[in-house]
Amino acid sequence: MRTSLTRSLTVLTVWFSVCSAWAHHGSAISYDTAHLWTTWATVTEFSYLNPHPSMTFDRTVAGGKVEHWVSELLTNPSELARAGWTKSRSIEALKPGTKVKLYVGTSRVGGLSGIVMKLENEKGENIVGLRDALKAVEKEGIPGGLQPTAEEIKEAENDKK
Amino acid sequence: MTRNNNSLHFIRHFGTLLLLASSAPLAVRGQPPNGLPTRTDTDPYASSDTDKRAYDKHDLSGLWSRNSQQFKLPPCPECREHGPVPGYGYHGVPPARTAEGEKRFQANKPSRGFDLGSKQANEHPEIDIGMRRAVPPARGNDPQSACNPLGAIRLVTFSGGGASMEMVQAKDKIIQRFEWTWDHRELWMDGRKLPNVADYLPRYNGYSIAKWEGDTLVVTTNGFDDRAWVDHYGYPMSDQMVLEERYQRISPNRLKVDMTLTDPVTYKAPWHGDTKVWALIPKENMNVAGWSGLLEDRCIPTDESQFNKTRDFAGGKR
Repeated sequence: MRTSLTRSLTVLTVWFSVCSAWAHHGSAISYDTAHLWTTWATVTEFSYLNPHPSMTFDRTVAGGKVEHWVSELLTNPSELARAGWTKSRSIEALKPGTKVKLYVGTSRVGGLSGIVMKLENEKGENIVGLRDALKAVEKEGIPGGLQPTAEEIKEAENDKK
Repeated sequence: MTRNNNSLHFIRHFGTLLLLASSAPLAVRGQPPNGLPTRTDTDPYASSDTDKRAYDKHDLSGLWSRNSQQFKLPPCPECREHGPVPGYGYHGVPPARTAEGEKRFQANKPSRGFDLGSKQANEHPEIDIGMRRAVPPARGNDPQSACNPLGAIRLVTFSGGGASMEMVQAKDKIIQRFEWTWDHRELWMDGRKLPNVADYLPRYNGYSIAKWEGDTLVVTTNGFDDRAWVDHYGYPMSDQMVLEERYQRISPNRLKVDMTLTDPVTYKAPWHGDTKVWALIPKENMNVAGWSGLLEDRCIPTDESQFNKTRDFAGGKR
Protein backbone atom coordinates (compact mmCIF):
# COMPACT_ATOMS: atom_id res chain seq x y z
CA MET A 1 0.00 0.00 0.00
CA ARG A 2 1.36 3.37 -0.91
CA THR A 3 1.49 5.94 1.81
CA SER A 4 1.71 9.66 1.29
CA LEU A 5 5.10 9.68 3.09
CA THR A 6 6.46 7.01 0.77
CA ARG A 7 5.11 8.94 -2.17
CA SER A 8 6.75 12.17 -1.05
CA LEU A 9 10.10 10.58 -0.31
CA THR A 10 10.07 8.75 -3.58
CA VAL A 11 9.16 11.84 -5.56
CA LEU A 12 11.92 13.88 -3.95
CA THR A 13 14.54 11.18 -4.25
CA VAL A 14 13.76 10.45 -7.86
CA TRP A 15 13.50 14.12 -8.79
CA PHE A 16 16.89 15.06 -7.43
CA SER A 17 18.47 11.92 -8.82
CA VAL A 18 17.28 12.09 -12.37
CA CYS A 19 16.32 15.64 -13.24
CA SER A 20 19.41 16.09 -15.40
CA ALA A 21 18.75 12.93 -17.34
CA TRP A 22 15.12 13.83 -18.00
CA ALA A 23 16.28 16.60 -20.24
CA HIS A 24 17.84 14.26 -22.74
CA HIS A 25 14.94 12.75 -24.59
CA GLY A 26 11.78 13.39 -22.64
CA SER A 27 11.31 9.69 -21.93
CA ALA A 28 10.33 9.79 -18.30
CA ILE A 29 7.01 11.47 -19.05
CA SER A 30 5.72 8.16 -20.39
CA TYR A 31 6.38 6.39 -17.09
CA ASP A 32 5.36 6.70 -13.46
CA THR A 33 8.78 7.48 -12.06
CA ALA A 34 7.27 8.67 -8.80
CA HIS A 35 6.30 5.13 -7.80
CA LEU A 36 9.19 2.75 -8.29
CA TRP A 37 9.19 -0.94 -7.49
CA THR A 38 11.72 -3.73 -7.54
CA THR A 39 11.77 -7.21 -8.96
CA TRP A 40 14.24 -9.88 -9.94
CA ALA A 41 14.22 -10.54 -13.66
CA THR A 42 16.09 -12.34 -16.42
CA VAL A 43 17.42 -10.30 -19.33
CA THR A 44 16.16 -11.55 -22.69
CA GLU A 45 17.54 -8.79 -24.95
CA PHE A 46 19.56 -5.61 -24.43
CA SER A 47 20.36 -2.90 -26.99
CA TYR A 48 22.93 -0.19 -26.22
CA LEU A 49 21.54 2.48 -28.52
CA ASN A 50 20.74 6.18 -28.59
CA PRO A 51 18.78 7.89 -27.30
CA HIS A 52 18.27 5.34 -24.49
CA PRO A 53 19.17 1.66 -24.24
CA SER A 54 16.25 -0.72 -24.45
CA MET A 55 15.87 -4.05 -22.69
CA THR A 56 13.35 -6.85 -22.61
CA PHE A 57 13.16 -9.08 -19.57
CA ASP A 58 11.15 -11.90 -18.06
CA ARG A 59 9.99 -12.18 -14.50
CA THR A 60 8.27 -15.10 -12.83
CA VAL A 61 5.24 -14.32 -10.74
CA ALA A 62 2.87 -16.23 -8.47
CA GLY A 63 1.74 -19.52 -9.94
CA GLY A 64 4.89 -19.82 -12.01
CA LYS A 65 3.59 -17.57 -14.77
CA VAL A 66 6.28 -15.72 -16.73
CA GLU A 67 5.71 -12.10 -17.68
CA HIS A 68 7.48 -10.61 -20.71
CA TRP A 69 8.35 -6.95 -20.18
CA VAL A 70 9.55 -4.20 -22.52
CA SER A 71 11.66 -1.40 -21.07
CA GLU A 72 14.05 1.43 -21.67
CA LEU A 73 16.92 2.38 -19.41
CA LEU A 74 16.97 5.81 -17.83
CA THR A 75 20.64 6.50 -18.48
CA ASN A 76 21.64 7.34 -22.04
CA PRO A 77 24.73 5.85 -23.74
CA SER A 78 26.92 8.96 -23.48
CA GLU A 79 26.33 9.22 -19.74
CA LEU A 80 26.91 5.50 -19.36
CA ALA A 81 30.16 5.65 -21.33
CA ARG A 82 31.46 8.55 -19.27
CA ALA A 83 30.66 6.61 -16.11
CA GLY A 84 32.70 3.66 -17.39
CA TRP A 85 29.75 1.65 -18.73
CA THR A 86 31.02 1.38 -22.27
CA LYS A 87 29.09 -0.56 -24.90
CA SER A 88 31.09 -3.77 -24.59
CA ARG A 89 31.05 -3.74 -20.79
CA SER A 90 27.31 -3.05 -20.67
CA ILE A 91 26.44 -5.74 -23.20
CA GLU A 92 28.56 -8.23 -21.25
CA ALA A 93 26.86 -7.25 -18.00
CA LEU A 94 23.37 -7.65 -19.49
CA LYS A 95 23.75 -10.59 -21.83
CA PRO A 96 20.63 -12.73 -22.28
CA GLY A 97 20.02 -15.03 -19.34
CA THR A 98 21.56 -12.68 -16.75
CA LYS A 99 19.63 -12.33 -13.50
CA VAL A 100 19.22 -8.74 -12.36
CA LYS A 101 17.32 -6.82 -9.76
CA LEU A 102 15.47 -3.94 -11.39
CA TYR A 103 14.05 -0.67 -10.10
CA VAL A 104 11.13 -0.04 -12.42
CA GLY A 105 8.64 2.73 -13.10
CA THR A 106 5.63 1.29 -14.94
CA SER A 107 4.18 2.91 -18.03
CA ARG A 108 1.61 5.53 -17.02
CA VAL A 109 -1.03 3.74 -19.06
CA GLY A 110 -0.16 0.43 -17.41
CA GLY A 111 0.82 -2.92 -18.86
CA LEU A 112 4.11 -4.79 -19.00
CA SER A 113 6.14 -1.76 -20.01
CA GLY A 114 8.44 0.37 -17.89
CA ILE A 115 11.54 2.44 -17.45
CA VAL A 116 14.43 0.83 -15.59
CA MET A 117 15.93 3.42 -13.30
CA LYS A 118 18.54 1.20 -11.66
CA LEU A 119 19.95 -2.30 -12.04
CA GLU A 120 21.78 -4.55 -9.59
CA ASN A 121 23.55 -7.81 -10.29
CA GLU A 122 23.36 -10.88 -8.08
CA LYS A 123 26.21 -9.53 -5.95
CA GLY A 124 24.16 -6.43 -5.19
CA GLU A 125 26.40 -4.20 -7.32
CA ASN A 126 24.92 -1.24 -9.18
CA ILE A 127 25.42 -1.91 -12.90
CA VAL A 128 24.82 -0.11 -16.23
CA GLY A 129 23.63 3.09 -14.57
CA LEU A 130 24.55 5.99 -12.37
CA ARG A 131 21.83 6.28 -9.78
CA ASP A 132 22.04 4.56 -6.43
CA ALA A 133 19.80 6.44 -3.99
CA LEU A 134 16.39 5.35 -5.24
CA LYS A 135 13.48 4.38 -3.02
CA ALA A 136 11.20 1.66 -4.27
CA VAL A 137 8.71 -0.90 -2.99
CA GLU A 138 9.35 -4.63 -3.46
CA LYS A 139 6.95 -6.42 -5.77
CA GLU A 140 8.79 -9.70 -6.17
CA GLY A 141 6.46 -12.33 -7.64
CA ILE A 142 3.43 -10.05 -7.68
CA PRO A 143 1.71 -10.15 -11.07
CA GLY A 144 2.15 -6.91 -12.99
CA GLY A 145 4.48 -5.48 -10.35
CA LEU A 146 3.21 -2.07 -9.34
CA GLN A 147 0.58 -0.97 -11.82
CA PRO A 148 -1.04 2.49 -11.89
CA THR A 149 -4.45 2.79 -10.29
CA ALA A 150 -7.57 3.09 -12.43
CA GLU A 151 -7.63 6.80 -11.60
CA GLU A 152 -4.01 7.26 -12.67
CA ILE A 153 -4.63 5.39 -15.92
CA LYS A 154 -7.63 7.63 -16.55
CA GLU A 155 -5.41 10.68 -16.01
CA ALA A 156 -2.86 9.30 -18.44
CA GLU A 157 -5.58 8.54 -20.96
CA ASN A 158 -6.86 12.10 -20.60
CA ASP A 159 -3.39 13.35 -21.50
CA LYS A 160 -3.86 11.70 -24.87
CA LYS A 161 -6.71 14.02 -25.72
CA MET B 1 25.36 48.79 -46.08
CA THR B 2 22.96 46.63 -48.02
CA ARG B 3 19.24 47.10 -48.04
CA ASN B 4 18.90 43.79 -46.25
CA ASN B 5 21.26 44.81 -43.47
CA ASN B 6 19.40 48.06 -43.05
CA SER B 7 16.22 46.08 -42.62
CA LEU B 8 17.85 43.86 -40.02
CA HIS B 9 19.07 46.87 -38.05
CA PHE B 10 15.61 48.41 -38.18
CA ILE B 11 13.98 45.20 -36.99
CA ARG B 12 16.50 44.85 -34.17
CA HIS B 13 16.27 48.43 -32.95
CA PHE B 14 12.51 48.66 -33.30
CA GLY B 15 12.17 45.34 -31.55
CA THR B 16 14.39 46.45 -28.70
CA LEU B 17 12.20 49.47 -28.12
CA LEU B 18 9.12 47.26 -28.14
CA LEU B 19 10.72 44.92 -25.64
CA LEU B 20 11.70 47.73 -23.32
CA ALA B 21 8.14 49.00 -23.44
CA SER B 22 6.67 45.55 -22.85
CA SER B 23 9.02 44.68 -19.98
CA ALA B 24 8.50 47.93 -18.06
CA PRO B 25 5.34 46.76 -16.29
CA LEU B 26 7.20 43.66 -15.07
CA ALA B 27 9.92 45.82 -13.55
CA VAL B 28 7.35 48.00 -11.86
CA ARG B 29 5.64 45.02 -10.33
CA GLY B 30 8.99 43.54 -9.35
CA GLN B 31 8.01 40.31 -11.03
CA PRO B 32 11.15 38.35 -11.87
CA PRO B 33 11.14 36.27 -15.06
CA ASN B 34 10.09 32.64 -14.67
CA GLY B 35 10.03 32.87 -10.90
CA LEU B 36 13.76 33.50 -10.79
CA PRO B 37 15.18 35.25 -7.74
CA THR B 38 15.51 38.99 -8.15
CA ARG B 39 18.97 39.62 -9.49
CA THR B 40 19.64 42.93 -7.84
CA ASP B 41 20.95 41.31 -4.64
CA THR B 42 23.14 38.61 -6.08
CA ASP B 43 23.98 37.63 -9.62
CA PRO B 44 23.19 33.93 -9.98
CA TYR B 45 25.42 33.84 -13.04
CA ALA B 46 28.51 35.31 -11.36
CA SER B 47 31.53 33.09 -11.81
CA SER B 48 32.41 30.74 -8.95
CA ASP B 49 35.70 29.99 -10.67
CA THR B 50 38.57 30.34 -8.17
CA ASP B 51 41.28 30.19 -10.84
CA LYS B 52 43.15 33.53 -10.74
CA ARG B 53 45.56 32.85 -13.58
CA ALA B 54 45.84 35.31 -16.42
CA TYR B 55 43.93 34.30 -19.54
CA ASP B 56 43.04 35.56 -22.99
CA LYS B 57 39.48 36.88 -23.02
CA HIS B 58 39.43 36.54 -26.80
CA ASP B 59 40.22 32.83 -26.73
CA LEU B 60 37.01 30.82 -26.41
CA SER B 61 38.52 27.55 -27.57
CA GLY B 62 38.12 24.42 -25.55
CA LEU B 63 35.63 21.86 -24.29
CA TRP B 64 32.72 23.35 -22.36
CA SER B 65 30.09 21.71 -20.16
CA ARG B 66 27.35 22.97 -17.85
CA ASN B 67 27.80 19.89 -15.68
CA SER B 68 31.36 20.18 -14.36
CA GLN B 69 30.89 17.50 -11.73
CA GLN B 70 30.34 14.91 -14.43
CA PHE B 71 34.00 15.49 -15.27
CA LYS B 72 35.23 15.36 -11.69
CA LEU B 73 35.58 19.14 -11.35
CA PRO B 74 34.16 21.42 -8.63
CA PRO B 75 30.46 22.30 -8.96
CA CYS B 76 29.47 25.24 -11.14
CA PRO B 77 26.23 26.58 -9.61
CA GLU B 78 26.02 29.38 -12.12
CA CYS B 79 25.97 26.80 -14.91
CA ARG B 80 22.66 25.35 -13.80
CA GLU B 81 19.20 26.68 -14.48
CA HIS B 82 17.92 29.08 -11.84
CA GLY B 83 14.43 29.00 -10.44
CA PRO B 84 11.81 26.28 -10.91
CA VAL B 85 11.96 26.17 -14.70
CA PRO B 86 12.54 22.81 -16.41
CA GLY B 87 16.04 22.39 -17.73
CA TYR B 88 17.92 23.39 -20.84
CA GLY B 89 15.43 25.73 -22.42
CA TYR B 90 15.92 29.17 -23.95
CA HIS B 91 13.93 30.59 -21.00
CA GLY B 92 13.62 34.30 -20.30
CA VAL B 93 10.16 35.81 -20.70
CA PRO B 94 8.59 34.69 -23.97
CA PRO B 95 6.98 37.71 -25.65
CA ALA B 96 3.42 37.74 -26.92
CA ARG B 97 3.04 35.81 -30.14
CA THR B 98 1.56 37.02 -33.41
CA ALA B 99 -1.45 35.18 -34.80
CA GLU B 100 0.89 33.14 -36.99
CA GLY B 101 3.20 32.50 -34.04
CA GLU B 102 0.32 31.34 -31.86
CA LYS B 103 -0.94 29.00 -34.55
CA ARG B 104 2.45 27.36 -34.84
CA PHE B 105 2.96 27.31 -31.05
CA GLN B 106 -0.29 25.37 -30.63
CA ALA B 107 0.69 22.94 -33.37
CA ASN B 108 3.92 21.99 -31.61
CA LYS B 109 3.53 19.23 -29.00
CA PRO B 110 6.66 19.00 -26.84
CA SER B 111 7.49 16.13 -24.50
CA ARG B 112 9.72 18.08 -22.14
CA GLY B 113 8.79 20.32 -19.28
CA PHE B 114 6.03 19.81 -16.77
CA ASP B 115 3.24 17.43 -17.80
CA LEU B 116 0.22 19.22 -19.20
CA GLY B 117 -2.38 19.61 -16.46
CA SER B 118 -0.17 18.03 -13.80
CA LYS B 119 0.03 19.22 -10.21
CA GLN B 120 3.55 20.50 -10.85
CA ALA B 121 2.38 22.43 -13.90
CA ASN B 122 -0.52 23.93 -11.98
CA GLU B 123 1.70 24.91 -9.05
CA HIS B 124 3.87 27.13 -11.24
CA PRO B 125 1.60 29.51 -13.13
CA GLU B 126 4.49 31.99 -13.20
CA ILE B 127 6.27 29.72 -15.68
CA ASP B 128 5.22 30.22 -19.27
CA ILE B 129 2.70 27.64 -20.49
CA GLY B 130 5.19 26.51 -23.12
CA MET B 131 7.14 24.76 -20.38
CA ARG B 132 4.02 23.30 -18.75
CA ARG B 133 2.38 21.43 -21.60
CA ALA B 134 4.41 18.25 -22.09
CA VAL B 135 2.69 15.19 -23.52
CA PRO B 136 4.11 11.67 -23.80
CA PRO B 137 6.48 11.41 -26.77
CA ALA B 138 4.13 8.88 -28.36
CA ARG B 139 1.65 11.73 -28.80
CA GLY B 140 4.11 14.56 -29.28
CA ASN B 141 5.73 15.85 -32.46
CA ASP B 142 9.20 16.91 -31.36
CA PRO B 143 11.31 16.98 -34.54
CA GLN B 144 14.02 15.20 -32.60
CA SER B 145 11.83 12.10 -32.35
CA ALA B 146 12.71 11.42 -35.96
CA CYS B 147 16.29 12.66 -35.61
CA ASN B 148 15.55 15.88 -37.46
CA PRO B 149 18.18 18.57 -36.80
CA LEU B 150 17.79 20.55 -33.60
CA GLY B 151 18.72 23.97 -34.97
CA ALA B 152 21.28 26.41 -33.60
CA ILE B 153 19.47 27.74 -30.54
CA ARG B 154 18.44 24.32 -29.35
CA LEU B 155 21.96 23.02 -29.84
CA VAL B 156 23.35 25.84 -27.72
CA THR B 157 20.74 25.69 -24.97
CA PHE B 158 20.87 21.93 -24.66
CA SER B 159 24.65 21.64 -24.67
CA GLY B 160 26.15 21.12 -21.32
CA GLY B 161 23.96 18.75 -19.31
CA GLY B 162 25.05 15.36 -20.40
CA ALA B 163 26.16 16.61 -23.78
CA SER B 164 29.05 19.04 -24.14
CA MET B 165 30.20 21.69 -26.59
CA GLU B 166 33.55 22.56 -28.14
CA MET B 167 34.73 25.87 -29.54
CA VAL B 168 37.48 25.67 -32.15
CA GLN B 169 39.03 29.01 -33.04
CA ALA B 170 40.54 29.41 -36.51
CA LYS B 171 42.02 32.46 -38.22
CA ASP B 172 38.81 33.74 -39.78
CA LYS B 173 36.07 31.75 -38.07
CA ILE B 174 35.07 29.92 -34.93
CA ILE B 175 33.62 26.45 -35.24
CA GLN B 176 31.15 25.52 -32.56
CA ARG B 177 30.76 21.77 -32.17
CA PHE B 178 27.99 20.00 -30.30
CA GLU B 179 28.17 16.52 -28.85
CA TRP B 180 24.46 15.62 -28.92
CA THR B 181 23.58 15.00 -32.59
CA TRP B 182 27.28 15.62 -33.52
CA ASP B 183 26.42 18.91 -35.19
CA HIS B 184 28.39 22.13 -35.74
CA ARG B 185 28.10 25.76 -36.81
CA GLU B 186 30.52 28.20 -38.39
CA LEU B 187 30.79 31.70 -36.93
CA TRP B 188 32.52 33.68 -39.67
CA MET B 189 34.87 36.49 -38.68
CA ASP B 190 36.24 37.36 -42.14
CA GLY B 191 34.20 40.54 -42.49
CA ARG B 192 31.44 39.11 -44.66
CA LYS B 193 27.92 40.44 -44.36
CA LEU B 194 24.82 38.44 -43.57
CA PRO B 195 23.22 36.97 -46.68
CA ASN B 196 19.92 38.10 -48.06
CA VAL B 197 17.86 35.21 -46.80
CA ALA B 198 15.55 35.38 -49.79
CA ASP B 199 18.50 34.46 -52.01
CA TYR B 200 19.70 31.47 -49.96
CA LEU B 201 18.28 28.21 -48.79
CA PRO B 202 17.31 28.36 -45.13
CA ARG B 203 19.58 26.30 -42.86
CA TYR B 204 18.90 24.70 -39.52
CA ASN B 205 21.87 26.49 -37.97
CA GLY B 206 21.47 29.61 -40.12
CA TYR B 207 24.24 31.86 -41.43
CA SER B 208 26.45 33.37 -38.73
CA ILE B 209 28.87 36.29 -38.66
CA ALA B 210 30.86 37.27 -35.58
CA LYS B 211 32.96 40.20 -34.38
CA TRP B 212 34.57 41.37 -31.17
CA GLU B 213 33.05 44.31 -29.32
CA GLY B 214 35.57 44.81 -26.54
CA ASP B 215 35.78 41.45 -24.82
CA THR B 216 32.40 40.29 -26.10
CA LEU B 217 32.06 38.11 -29.16
CA VAL B 218 28.88 39.22 -30.89
CA VAL B 219 27.41 36.61 -33.21
CA THR B 220 24.54 37.47 -35.52
CA THR B 221 22.68 34.74 -37.36
CA ASN B 222 19.89 34.73 -39.95
CA GLY B 223 18.50 32.37 -42.56
CA PHE B 224 17.00 29.79 -40.22
CA ASP B 225 14.94 26.80 -41.27
CA ASP B 226 11.55 27.31 -39.66
CA ARG B 227 11.00 23.61 -39.09
CA ALA B 228 13.28 23.78 -36.04
CA TRP B 229 11.97 24.67 -32.60
CA VAL B 230 13.56 27.42 -30.53
CA ASP B 231 14.08 24.94 -27.71
CA HIS B 232 12.79 21.69 -26.23
CA TYR B 233 9.48 23.31 -25.38
CA GLY B 234 8.12 23.77 -28.87
CA TYR B 235 8.43 27.52 -29.24
CA PRO B 236 8.24 28.21 -32.98
CA MET B 237 10.45 30.34 -35.19
CA SER B 238 10.16 31.69 -38.72
CA ASP B 239 12.78 31.92 -41.45
CA GLN B 240 12.84 35.67 -40.78
CA MET B 241 14.28 35.24 -37.28
CA VAL B 242 17.55 36.98 -36.44
CA LEU B 243 19.53 35.77 -33.47
CA GLU B 244 22.14 37.77 -31.58
CA GLU B 245 24.47 35.92 -29.20
CA ARG B 246 26.94 37.71 -26.94
CA TYR B 247 29.68 35.40 -25.67
CA GLN B 248 32.09 36.35 -22.90
CA ARG B 249 34.85 34.38 -21.25
CA ILE B 250 34.16 35.81 -17.81
CA SER B 251 36.97 33.96 -16.01
CA PRO B 252 39.66 31.43 -16.96
CA ASN B 253 37.20 28.54 -16.72
CA ARG B 254 33.81 30.08 -17.48
CA LEU B 255 32.05 31.00 -20.71
CA LYS B 256 28.69 32.72 -20.80
CA VAL B 257 26.27 33.73 -23.49
CA ASP B 258 23.29 36.07 -23.62
CA MET B 259 20.93 35.60 -26.53
CA THR B 260 18.24 37.73 -28.12
CA LEU B 261 16.03 36.56 -30.93
CA THR B 262 13.99 38.92 -33.07
CA ASP B 263 11.27 37.34 -35.16
CA PRO B 264 8.43 39.72 -36.05
CA VAL B 265 6.59 36.98 -37.94
CA THR B 266 6.27 34.93 -34.75
CA TYR B 267 6.76 37.26 -31.77
CA LYS B 268 5.58 40.79 -31.10
CA ALA B 269 8.86 41.78 -29.43
CA PRO B 270 12.46 40.56 -29.24
CA TRP B 271 12.99 37.72 -26.82
CA HIS B 272 15.94 37.68 -24.41
CA GLY B 273 16.85 34.21 -23.24
CA ASP B 274 18.29 33.53 -19.81
CA THR B 275 22.07 33.63 -19.51
CA LYS B 276 23.84 30.32 -20.05
CA VAL B 277 27.18 29.57 -18.41
CA TRP B 278 29.60 26.72 -19.15
CA ALA B 279 32.67 25.44 -17.33
CA LEU B 280 35.91 24.71 -19.18
CA ILE B 281 36.71 21.01 -19.11
CA PRO B 282 40.36 19.95 -19.55
CA LYS B 283 40.42 17.33 -22.27
CA GLU B 284 42.04 14.87 -19.88
CA ASN B 285 38.84 15.00 -17.82
CA MET B 286 36.61 14.40 -20.84
CA ASN B 287 37.84 10.92 -21.49
CA VAL B 288 36.20 7.61 -22.36
CA ALA B 289 38.28 4.46 -22.72
CA GLY B 290 41.46 6.49 -23.16
CA TRP B 291 40.05 8.75 -25.90
CA SER B 292 39.47 12.36 -24.91
CA GLY B 293 37.14 14.94 -26.41
CA LEU B 294 33.50 15.00 -27.46
CA LEU B 295 31.67 11.74 -27.99
CA GLU B 296 30.13 11.05 -31.38
CA ASP B 297 26.68 11.17 -29.88
CA ARG B 298 24.55 11.04 -32.99
CA CYS B 299 20.81 10.73 -33.31
CA ILE B 300 20.59 7.79 -35.72
CA PRO B 301 17.23 7.30 -37.47
CA THR B 302 17.34 3.50 -37.41
CA ASP B 303 18.20 3.47 -33.70
CA GLU B 304 15.60 6.12 -32.98
CA SER B 305 13.00 4.11 -34.85
CA GLN B 306 13.77 1.06 -32.73
CA PHE B 307 13.65 3.15 -29.56
CA ASN B 308 10.34 4.68 -30.64
CA LYS B 309 8.72 1.24 -30.63
CA THR B 310 9.48 0.96 -26.91
CA ARG B 311 8.46 4.54 -26.25
CA ASP B 312 5.23 4.33 -28.24
CA PHE B 313 4.28 1.10 -26.47
CA ALA B 314 4.82 2.85 -23.14
CA GLY B 315 2.69 5.74 -24.36
CA GLY B 316 -0.27 3.49 -25.06
CA LYS B 317 0.21 2.94 -28.81
CA ARG B 318 -0.29 -0.83 -28.75
